[in-house]
Amino acid sequence: MTSPSVELNNVSLIFGDGDPRKENVTAVDNTSLEIPAGQFVAIVGPSGCGKTTILNMLAGLIKPTLGSVKRHGVEVDGPSRDIGYMLARSALSPWRTAKQNVELGLEIRGMSKQERSEKSLELLSQLRLEGFADSYPSMLSQGMQQRVAIARTLAIDPDLWLLDEPFGALDAQTRLTVQSEFISLWESNPGKTVIFVTHDLEEAVLLADRVIVMTARPGKIKSDTIVPIPRPRIVDELKFDPVFTETEHKIWKELRDELV
Amino acid sequence: MSSSELNELSKKSKTDSQELWRWRMRQLDIPTQLLRLTVLVAGFLIWQYELIFKGVPITIFGFEPLPKINPIFYAVPTDIWGYLADYYHDLLFWKDLWVTLQEAIWGFVIGGSTGFITGILLGYFLRLQKVFGPFLVFANAVPKIAFAPILILWYGVDMGSKIALAVIIVFFIVQMPTTAAVGLVDPDLNTLATTMGATKSQLFKKVVVPGIMPAVFGALRLAAIYAMLSVVFGEFIASKRGLGQKLLVSTNQFNMASAFALMLVLAVVALGLNGIIGLTERRVLKWQTTRRGGQVVSL
Repeated sequence: MTSPSVELNNVSLIFGDGDPRKENVTAVDNTSLEIPAGQFVAIVGPSGCGKTTILNMLAGLIKPTLGSVKRHGVEVDGPSRDIGYMLARSALSPWRTAKQNVELGLEIRGMSKQERSEKSLELLSQLRLEGFADSYPSMLSQGMQQRVAIARTLAIDPDLWLLDEPFGALDAQTRLTVQSEFISLWESNPGKTVIFVTHDLEEAVLLADRVIVMTARPGKIKSDTIVPIPRPRIVDELKFDPVFTETEHKIWKELRDELV
Repeated sequence: MSSSELNELSKKSKTDSQELWRWRMRQLDIPTQLLRLTVLVAGFLIWQYELIFKGVPITIFGFEPLPKINPIFYAVPTDIWGYLADYYHDLLFWKDLWVTLQEAIWGFVIGGSTGFITGILLGYFLRLQKVFGPFLVFANAVPKIAFAPILILWYGVDMGSKIALAVIIVFFIVQMPTTAAVGLVDPDLNTLATTMGATKSQLFKKVVVPGIMPAVFGALRLAAIYAMLSVVFGEFIASKRGLGQKLLVSTNQFNMASAFALMLVLAVVALGLNGIIGLTERRVLKWQTTRRGGQVVSL
């Protein structure tokens, strides 16, 4: 049997600056989780429940205080080049054009200029941004900026996609468009594992195969639900599907108690 | 394509040149230009006809801000113009200008580059900042201009002492904002590049250096002006050559027309240096020019 894409074994993360007068904060408390390759998992929970902390541990930015974090059976030790991380704010470099932003990860890997250019133009056109390759981020709308960020994340062809509320800053309409573009990109890239942190339950159920609810701090897994909706999904129609409403309602009952 | 669409298009190409003309006029902003011209002419007349020097009877707490000035102590634009014309044909003037310009450029280059490098190092290595930060803050608080006479004792009356003064002053003007700017680079950009596996030197090249450029250029523009100011002051204290020295001699001899002419020249040189930096800035910070809708805000 192949080892899961992502594995958390009894992971705890405690924040503290070593000042003995202050109480340490437990961000993640004794959490175990296994995600097979190719699964799209959404993590929902109240703010401060350690969702982002889990992503940061997977990205190798921080180490767990206790327990182990593994990818493909190997302990995570520092950042790895086959992870794509996407933040809530687009985090585009203002001095780079859309195209140059998409190329950032490729430059870091030392890919040749020619190859970078082909790859980034291809991704930009997949996200309907071909006319804006040479525009600076300040000239792009929020939705376009976030699409450039998606292209940048996917440019390095990561095996694991970590997304931290990637559409949180978008207005409802733009969000729907970007969500459906994103989901069709993922559906056309089989085998890629996605961990998608959001505070929006509707979004979680629309996009994910599996929704994990976390408790308020200290963060633990409260429930783990499979979303029984087949793929490919049509995001803007799905909202009216009874299976969708039912699943969302079921998970909502779990989540509600955690939101004070 | 239907015939009406074709019509529409051909009409557009005809109006294009008119539209371009109107757009250019809007860019030129005629009312602003006219007002500027008015201010310039008014200022010139007030000066030329000595209105400002006749004395205005205003007293604020016993202080007269616009007293009557003895005609020996000022010059009017036509006299000044006469000196400018003379200097233009005077080889010694050009030699003095060259001396002052060299001093300012060396002061700017040495002070600017050391300030930039120190600024980056202190911003990047927190331990260094913690250790040296307080000392630099103290050194910056010293009235550096007061070092001018001492520097002349140390480096002699030639160019060296003037360059040294400019270096000291320019260094801090560049170092302080550079250090601050390193700390202000968007942490998200750092996180993101780190998750992509960027090495320390890649983070530095791709995130830190471009991120601090706006602040650095702001500081460099200011530094160019201050480099001029420092070397002129240095020449005031003691020197053999230079426009500052010439200016002091003119003032001491009550040759006001010459003094004002030289000040005008110094101002033009400082603006020239500032302009060169401004042009470089426009090229390097093209993304910022676009953000401000083509308007480059200068210091």
